Amino acid sequence: MKTILLVEDDKNQLLLYKQELLLEGYNIITAQDGQEAINKVKEHTPDLIVMDINMPKMSGIESMGRILSEHKKIPIIINTAYGSYKDDFMSWSADAYIIKSSDITELKDKIKELIGKI
Amino acid sequence: MLPQILKDKVDNVLYNVVDALDAGFSILDKDLNIVCANEKLSSILNLEYDPIGKTCREVYKCECKDNKYCSVFQALSSGKKQFCETQLITERGERRYIQNISTPLKDEKNGITHLLKLSIDVTAQEEKIHQLSLLRKLAELMQGTLQIDRLLHLILTCVTAGTALGFNRARLFLVDKERDIVYGKMAVGPSSLEEANRIWSEIAKKYEKLEDLIQASEDNYRDDTPLHMITRLMAYSLRDENEVIVSCVKNKKIIWERDAFHNPNIDKKFVNMIGANEFVCIPLIAKDETIGVICVDNLYSKKPIIEEHIQGLTTFANRAALAIENAAAYKILSEKVRQLEETQDRLIRSERLAVIGNMAAYVAHEIRNPLATIGGFARSILRASNQDDQIRQNAGIIVEEVSRLERILANIMDFSKPVESVKVASQINEILENICSLMDPYFKNGRIKLTKIFNSMIPKIVIDPTQVKQVFLNLIKNAVESMPGGGALTIETIVEDKHIKINITDTGEGMTAEIMQNIFVPFFTTKVDGTGVGLAVSHKIVDDHGGYIKVKSSLQEGTTFSIYLPI
Repeated sequence: MKTILLVEDDKNQLLLYKQELLLEGYNIITAQDGQEAINKVKEHTPDLIVMDINMPKMSGIESMGRILSEHKKIPIIINTAYGSYKDDFMSWSADAYIIKSSDITELKDKIKELIGKI
Repeated sequence: MLPQILKDKVDNVLYNVVDALDAGFSILDKDLNIVCANEKLSSILNLEYDPIGKTCREVYKCECKDNKYCSVFQALSSGKKQFCETQLITERGERRYIQNISTPLKDEKNGITHLLKLSIDVTAQEEKIHQLSLLRKLAELMQGTLQIDRLLHLILTCVTAGTALGFNRARLFLVDKERDIVYGKMAVGPSSLEEANRIWSEIAKKYEKLEDLIQASEDNYRDDTPLHMITRLMAYSLRDENEVIVSCVKNKKIIWERDAFHNPNIDKKFVNMIGANEFVCIPLIAKDETIGVICVDNLYSKKPIIEEHIQGLTTFANRAALAIENAAAYKILSEKVRQLEETQDRLIRSERLAVIGNMAAYVAHEIRNPLATIGGFARSILRASNQDDQIRQNAGIIVEEVSRLERILANIMDFSKPVESVKVASQINEILENICSLMDPYFKNGRIKLTKIFNSMIPKIVIDPTQVKQVFLNLIKNAVESMPGGGALTIETIVEDKHIKINITDTGEGMTAEIMQNIFVPFFTTKVDGTGVGLAVSHKIVDDHGGYIKVKSSLQEGTTFSIYLPI
């Protein structure tokens, strides 16, 4: 079973993504800020990371940079409400950039494309 | 002691003296009937009949209706000499100023039997004074006139008005330094002898006061007279110093040509244009530079031009030149002010857009997160619920509404997002063709008849095709939406004044003036589900391209949006 790390500071949103992705058949671990995400990666080495950007303590972009410096192979999907981070070249190292929507089909499709099911 | 010869022939001598007198002479009886008058009186008053036997008032045409103010009556009743000055219009319609002295004549018993009335024609002096004061007032008025065309016409009116400088015709030439020419700007005066006669017969009675003159200047401001049109055809290169007007400009001296028809040194073409044998060109000098030339003549009255008239004209021309200079400076200044105001407007608008943009972006993001959560859970409820379930229906409504809100947010964020534009040389016609074929089904559904008038000669221009496409899409969509019952849509491309102009015309509902004023204001909308950013974004995009949008609209008839993109 593939493991996905969900990084999201909004509790309710985190819950939503967790529920949805569990239904898709993934194993889900979560983190609520960039620092926690780095720690979780050390513990579990997930198959994919879904990363919010605007978070307390450490932003998603910085966290992503640190994670990628040690685990170059882990695909990362940026999932944010802001379109403007697309212009930040740091965000280009992500495998996908998705703008948050109530319809999470796009996110699911992207995950499937990157790691396949199960 | 009178010499004997006078005593003997007193009648004869007296008769000769009275006749030789340079004054009108009459004797009135106590009923104020004229019993005796000399010929000078008839000539002063332009009489065409014998004054003897007529009443004083009849002959002198005096205006005092009341005996109280009548000098003759006062002389009679007081027994003292009375002076008075009257102004009258003679039978031939000429204005005259007459000084009258009425002296009572007494018999041996000291009773007044007759009155002696002497009349001196002071018209010339009066007119001179009148003219000077009029010119002074006019000069003041000129300094205050800043609208250049009105000023120029006022100047020429003064030069030609009988009570002012009184030339028959006046033409004004102006120097255009940029084009290195001096050209005919305007002309005032009758175009034919008949017209001249008609005007002069009226003029004695009218245009006396300053106000009348100004009114006449306004009323007669016409630019379709033959004289004016011929003058407008005259233009000379400033390098051609043989030309009369040019030499007047260059030498800053008056040119007084007395016999143009026989002067071999003067260009025949110019003489033909002027059409007068005698004329005067006078330079208009402001700050040591000739800014123009006034050319006057007396074609119709054939009155020779005299030194005195030229002096008057010179004084006047100096004042006029200053006034023209003032008005020209004012024109430049007001143009600059207008440009500044425009820039300020644009700054304010872009500042406002920036503020609104920032706020919108902030609000939109804050809302987008919880909205995504709400909608996401609603979708999961929808999926988990059974068919035909009340819960399913309700969750479906939440999903729909959230989607609508998200669309609006996306729109607003597009607007507030500063986009780097990628500009490439593009062919506007191609972009429009593309959009039209894209929207073809949409046109058919809405029963829209599309007409394309594309100018195939328009050049490629450097634009961001994606952004410009967005503008066309917005405007075309608006046009179609304004014709809910169908209609005609016309898209036209034109090259106009270093711009490509794209007209998008519909036959829809049109807009009120109030709506027109607000259409580019962000978040202003008249549509039920509009966000009010479409036109604001379009405006901003066109603005970023250095272009502008114009709108014409009339209710029930339709609207035309014209987009101007610089070539």
